[in-house]
Amino acid sequence: MHTCDLDISINKLSKIEGHADLDIKIRDGKVEDVSLRVMENVRFFNQAVQGMDYKNVPQLVSHICGTCSIAHLTACIEAVEKTLDIKPTPQTIMLRKLTMHSLMIRDHALHLYFFVLPDLFGLDSVLDVPDDKKGLIHEALHIKEAGNNLSNLIAGRSVHAPFEQVGGFSNEVDKSKIPAMIEELKSIRPFVMNLTEIFYNCQWELKRKTNFVAIVSDDFSYLEGKIKSTSGAVIEEKDFWNHLHSVVLPYSQAQGFEFEGKDYTVGALSRLNLNKDAIHPDTKRDMKKYLDVFPSENVYHNNLAQAIEIMNSIDYSIEFLSKSDFKKEAPVQPPKLTGEGVGVIEAPRGTLYYWMAITDGKVRYVNLVIPTAQNLINMRDDVKKIVGDICNFNQPVETFEKQIKKEVEKLIRAYDPCMSCASHFLKINWI
Amino acid sequence: MAKKRVGVFSITCDEGCSIYLTEIFNKKLLPWLEKCEFVYFLSIKDHTDIKDLDIALIEGVVTSQSDKELLEKIRANAKTLIAMGTCAMTTLPSGQRNNFNLDQMSQIADHLLKYHFLPKALALKDVVRVDDNIPGCPIIPEKFVEVFEKYL
Repeated sequence: MHTCDLDISINKLSKIEGHADLDIKIRDGKVEDVSLRVMENVRFFNQAVQGMDYKNVPQLVSHICGTCSIAHLTACIEAVEKTLDIKPTPQTIMLRKLTMHSLMIRDHALHLYFFVLPDLFGLDSVLDVPDDKKGLIHEALHIKEAGNNLSNLIAGRSVHAPFEQVGGFSNEVDKSKIPAMIEELKSIRPFVMNLTEIFYNCQWELKRKTNFVAIVSDDFSYLEGKIKSTSGAVIEEKDFWNHLHSVVLPYSQAQGFEFEGKDYTVGALSRLNLNKDAIHPDTKRDMKKYLDVFPSENVYHNNLAQAIEIMNSIDYSIEFLSKSDFKKEAPVQPPKLTGEGVGVIEAPRGTLYYWMAITDGKVRYVNLVIPTAQNLINMRDDVKKIVGDICNFNQPVETFEKQIKKEVEKLIRAYDPCMSCASHFLKINWI
Repeated sequence: MAKKRVGVFSITCDEGCSIYLTEIFNKKLLPWLEKCEFVYFLSIKDHTDIKDLDIALIEGVVTSQSDKELLEKIRANAKTLIAMGTCAMTTLPSGQRNNFNLDQMSQIADHLLKYHFLPKALALKDVVRVDDNIPGCPIIPEKFVEVFEKYL
């Protein structure tokens, strides 16, 4: 086999959240570097929050990312409340759990149907599915609509939700709409079963040993709990930063993270690997076959984990909506206006960390660590690995270049990166 | 009748409007696909050349030279150009740097220079001719349907 040099660029990766380019550099037949370039222009959130009233900052940071909007809003609210010793009511916590479940339903559905399914069927777009599979589009739209309607009912909207605020929810839930909402959620369960079966049968495999990290809660709620790892760590949310180690990746200048000095990954796969016992009993009953797959080291099982999480969020939402007596509550006021605090939640793509300081009600600074930054090292290593496996210079270059592009995009989509978030917090070297 | 060729573009913003568009799709996508095809929409399909568009829907602000060049290219290749959301219409919230005080400006000055940002973030209409607008942050679904269907 002879070897050669090759540069591959994927200009504008599609079907991911946000925009990025990918460059792969092969020298003497070996993958020398893989670098992800985020193309979006920064909007200077770090500066914009300085001096703002604490009440307005969560809504501002929800504009960091359209799709993860509710995750940023919720994590920032938690950080403000921890900073100012605000203790939200049990109803507020339950409403936040419902809001997060609504996000998981529509966000995972968007990712799986619109971003990943085309790879599975060898198509450019989900819009191109053949007639015999057109039913899948109907099912996708129904699932997303149910998630969207749940966001509307609880939080006022699925993107930049207006009701979720520091200290409570500003609007009362319209109880007359709850029965129809429950019926709608029940009606999409068969569609989620179909989706999960597709990913259960998917043969894609890339196994890697790594450390899986996630918040572990007893009701799989994405909000509160201990941060645990498959390596055995159990830590408080407020101490998370002390266990992270920032790493600047060579060539790209991007900032990734290690957990306790080792590579790690966050997201749905980590949550299922660490906390499948807390999955809703109804989901466990109907999805036993799929849950038995976990724990798994197969990177592509992140897709299967997301499908299971959609069902889990449906079932917890049905339970909350059925059993709760939604009352009108006044927002809880802060006992103090100065302090420092941490909010950590599980966003759709993994653990999202906010650390902020407030003085006399005005925000001094906000720091955050996003899921995509935490997955960056593993994503880069895995891209390197599959490119190395595919490289075969006995073939015409065009043949394997095309294959590399296809396989790399498929892998990156399994990690479900969010480049809208990353454009602000990856510290990519802009070129 | 040939289907209308539609492109959906994001320049500097959080992509909240295009994500919200995929929620509007829940009820409207299938009827719209009878009348149009989405030829450019990176959230749902691979990158293609920007040409011969009947309708271009654009979200975000024009913050850098590269944004400006992309917008001008879209304008030159689209019969109807629609500003989608308040960023595209008014610069806010994504153009928040326009309202920074001196201290905040001094923190970002080097970045602006190094990466060829424009002196101010601009609305689409400050750069090219805009044929129609869809307000909201994110876009108001009823307004999107009303405006978009005028051109189908």
